[in-house]
Amino acid sequence: MEDTEIINLWKSYDKKLEENLLFNKKNAEDITKIKVQSFLSSMKPMKIFIVLFSLVWVGFVDILIFNIFDVASPFLLVSAAIHILLTKLAIGIYLYQLILIYQVDINEPIVATQEKLVRLRSTTLWISRLLFLQLPVWTTFWWNEVMLHEWNVFQWLITGSVTLAFAFAAIWLFFNIKYENRDKKWFRLLFTGIEWNPLVKSMELLSQIDEYKIENDLLNPVKNSTKRS
Amino acid sequence: MNSTDKPKLFLSVIELNKGILFKVANSYCKDGEDRKDLVQEIVVQLWKSFERFNDQYKYSTWIYRIALNVAISFYRKEKRRKQLSNPLSDGILNFADTNVISETDENIWLLQQFIAELKELDKAIMLLYLEEKSHKEIAEIIGISETNVATKIGRIKILLKQKFSSR
Repeated sequence: MEDTEIINLWKSYDKKLEENLLFNKKNAEDITKIKVQSFLSSMKPMKIFIVLFSLVWVGFVDILIFNIFDVASPFLLVSAAIHILLTKLAIGIYLYQLILIYQVDINEPIVATQEKLVRLRSTTLWISRLLFLQLPVWTTFWWNEVMLHEWNVFQWLITGSVTLAFAFAAIWLFFNIKYENRDKKWFRLLFTGIEWNPLVKSMELLSQIDEYKIENDLLNPVKNSTKRS
Repeated sequence: MNSTDKPKLFLSVIELNKGILFKVANSYCKDGEDRKDLVQEIVVQLWKSFERFNDQYKYSTWIYRIALNVAISFYRKEKRRKQLSNPLSDGILNFADTNVISETDENIWLLQQFIAELKELDKAIMLLYLEEKSHKEIAEIIGISETNVATKIGRIKILLKQKFSSR
């Protein structure tokens, strides 16, 4: 089939649509009267709440660490410090997501808008990585100096194994929770359900966007290098 | 534009371009109910953006940008959108003759099948190509260079020809 035949075929479909498609003016008019949410505004309240709640939490733990610094067990201090550091990084990502939400404008060209939307969703994976990285500190914060002196080998073997297992899992997940592993069974198991499926699909779109951008750069090297400089 | 003229102008623009809404929704949504929701979501977002319409572009370019952006994002929402409040129970676009879609000829059906199988961004380019938009306009809507548009269209056309010749 030639190009003109394909275009004519589409035109005939278009004509059929024009003749038969009815516009429900009343319903469209109702839209102009109701207060509608902008594209991503529904995501904002929850993210703002999480940021505020997390700030209160890290503030509380910071003050706690400061006040008990001289008397607390070093295990508790180090565990809490790691937890707080990783939580602060996660808050940073949430703030970045809020900035992206404010920046997304669906009046902009498709590739630019979709890239922001996809990056917004894919940063959620970074939050998961950071949260998993905290796993071992939840097994060490209660350790104390008495345990060091009084526990026998068997007790240490069990406690140490649990911590080591958590540390191994945390590091492994940190390095393996990524787009490339989206088809692995364990990934699907961790990131399944209504909330995560759109994320996985977003990542699939990201590869298309990247491919479009790479080709754009390859086809217009001079123009793009000037734009970048 | 005063506040009473704005909705009137908006509705006339949408009515004139209703075909775009249907074609975009039909290409990204196979399910009839989802399609109805998608058309509504597109109209909502067009209305939200109407005030910021930049008259250096044609209305159709503006509609395509928003409709395609919403359609590409919409499919990822999946079932969640069904839980969102839907203020309008009936669709914005309906058919005078409900058999129009089911009775389209075999070639149109094949063409629609082909479009449905394309990846999201290629699908957008194919739709714009079939609408006989210039490479410049497609580049403005998609946000890539004209050379890249030409390359993409060339590749999609090869696939399309294969599809039609293999039946």
